Amino acid sequence: MKKMSKLSAVYLIVVFFILYAPIFYLIFYSFNSGGTMYQFEGFTFDWYKELFKDSRLLIIVLNTIIIALLSAAISTIIGVAGALAIAYSRKRRVKNTLLSLNNVLIVSPDVIIGASFLILFTMIGIKLGLISVLLSHIAFCVPIVVIMVLPKIEEMSPTMMFAALDLGASRWDVLSKVVLPYITPGIFAGFFMALTYSLDDFAVTFFVTGNGFTTLSVEIYSLARRGVSLNINALSTILFIFTMILVIGYYYIAKRNRPNGMGDRR
Amino acid sequence: MKDNIIIRFEHVTKQYDNDPPVLNDVCFEIERGKFYTLLGPSGCGKTTILRLIAGFIGPSQGNIYFNGKIINHVPANKRQVNTVFQDYALFPHLNVFENVAFGLRIKKLKNAEITEKVKEALRFVNLKGYENREISEMSGGQRQRVAIVRAIVNEPEVLLLDEPLSALDLKLRTEMQYELRELQRRLGITFIFVTHDQEEALAMSDEIFVLNNGKIEQSGTPTDIYDEPINRFVANFIGESNIVSGKMIKDYVVEFAGKTFDCVDKGFNPNETVEIVIRPEDLEITPKDQGKLQVRIDSQLFRGVHYEIICYDQDGNEWLVHSTRKVKVGDEIGLHFDPEAIHVMRLGETEEEFDKRLENY
Ligand SMILES: Nc1ncnc2c1ncn2[C@@H]1O[C@H](COP(=O)(O)OP(=O)(O)OP(=O)(O)O)[C@@H](O)[C@H]1O
Ligand SMILES: [Mg+2]
Repeated sequence: MKKMSKLSAVYLIVVFFILYAPIFYLIFYSFNSGGTMYQFEGFTFDWYKELFKDSRLLIIVLNTIIIALLSAAISTIIGVAGALAIAYSRKRRVKNTLLSLNNVLIVSPDVIIGASFLILFTMIGIKLGLISVLLSHIAFCVPIVVIMVLPKIEEMSPTMMFAALDLGASRWDVLSKVVLPYITPGIFAGFFMALTYSLDDFAVTFFVTGNGFTTLSVEIYSLARRGVSLNINALSTILFIFTMILVIGYYYIAKRNRPNGMGDRR
Repeated sequence: MKDNIIIRFEHVTKQYDNDPPVLNDVCFEIERGKFYTLLGPSGCGKTTILRLIAGFIGPSQGNIYFNGKIINHVPANKRQVNTVFQDYALFPHLNVFENVAFGLRIKKLKNAEITEKVKEALRFVNLKGYENREISEMSGGQRQRVAIVRAIVNEPEVLLLDEPLSALDLKLRTEMQYELRELQRRLGITFIFVTHDQEEALAMSDEIFVLNNGKIEQSGTPTDIYDEPINRFVANFIGESNIVSGKMIKDYVVEFAGKTFDCVDKGFNPNETVEIVIRPEDLEITPKDQGKLQVRIDSQLFRGVHYEIICYDQDGNEWLVHSTRKVKVGDEIGLHFDPEAIHVMRLGETEEEFDKRLENY
């Protein structure tokens, strides 16, 4: 037994090492004054300074964050409404069909989603840029929100809604005073998921961006193609730390809500 | 229409899709201020009746009256009725105070008034000081009381209770039975209580409706139903019974187990085939030659308060006897019973026919 757990510990360490090594390698060399990724000459913040002097890059970062926040917020609203519709659809067939369609969107490759959006946007004449990126991000975030929120709705006892009606609540009261507070943890989880998906999306954005509008991941890609510069390392490090903060924030919220399984403590 | 009738069901049928009806042509009246119990086996339609009264579902046919007005299409949130649910259905995201205040906040009462009412109501059920507790921090019995105050704080005319005691242990359950009965007396409102526990029903109710398969088999006071069950189902469901078939020779004389006995029933056709009910506690063990019936003891089980003894007569009828005295298995004994202990049932008689026959006594 003891041996087994030791073995699994070693296994876990190896796996996590392999997964995280490239990231830490990259972070490590972002502080290299030597300008290459194989010889560490000395510690420096130069690459970061250069990054913050580059106003074009700062605008791109801002774009990325705006896109992420907007698309996460909008897709949370749409996704919650969708999850409610799926959960309360009367007919079993309708419900299963909607759910399958939702899941297909989650598993289908980003490249296909990106390409199809490109075709769609050029066909209906939407100019590639902020709007097209935003729309496509919302589109791939909605199914994620649905998946995060739906279990929370289904876990709710239906008699709770009867109880609210019984106490005189209108349909709107039932939604705003009972259902939404109850599923708040699910909504937060969905929002954060959507945020991270939008932040680090490359494939879809790559297809639908244009007219000088880019996001961070697309920018990193084009920088990397132009040639090795430790700018990229610095940028990636910032992106990585930002994502980590989001993840920690998400866990914090989830954990605070867990003790009684619900959100909205008064 | 009588003034004191608060709810009336008029030929109410409830059917889902093309399934057989869940409720079939149900008629009854509920009087103001009484404690009613709906009693019946699982799936007989008890919850369905409560849901119809609360307005969560509507009848497929027939009418439901509340204070003399048809309420078939009045939505649940507009009815003067509140429900205590089987699983309590408390709101886990709100604390005790906010759960109880829910209905009052919907009514947009002033904050001061809400605080006063909620505190008063919580004191009423001995939950003073629990205002800020989370629901998850309350015990089963406390949750149940929160569910009850959440309903009664809205001052409904009728309180519906769907098996609120079924999740509690025996001791707490007996305690809560007294508390509920006491609460109903103090509030003076109508309670409609659902249970499938016959002892609970007998102990608490002014009036019992015995349901089976979506129909009311019999309604009446606990003693009426216990002493004069209308048919085999009711006799078996309410308490334990010995049921044997027999023949009504003439008024006051009945034949069963190969003998004739005096009884107190009349109004049957001469030589009509009937069923006889004798409660096990009405049978008294005597020496063999002194009893009205001679039986052989087949088995004996100690039940705490009494022994449960199973005997057979020479016709092969089974007799269940409750006795505080121990007997020896295999012995031949006599059974004595009074004429009043014999209850004669007519085969396939409905409640109306039964009532009519009783009136002609
Ligand atoms: N929404 C529904 N669709 C179809 N059938 C239903 C529905 N709700 C209830 N039924 C059926 O109606 C019948 C009566 O149900 P009901 O809940 O009234 O039983 P009950 O007497 O309360 O039983 P229990 O003691 O088990 O709670 C059951 O056979 C049940 O399957
Ligand atoms: Mg029920």
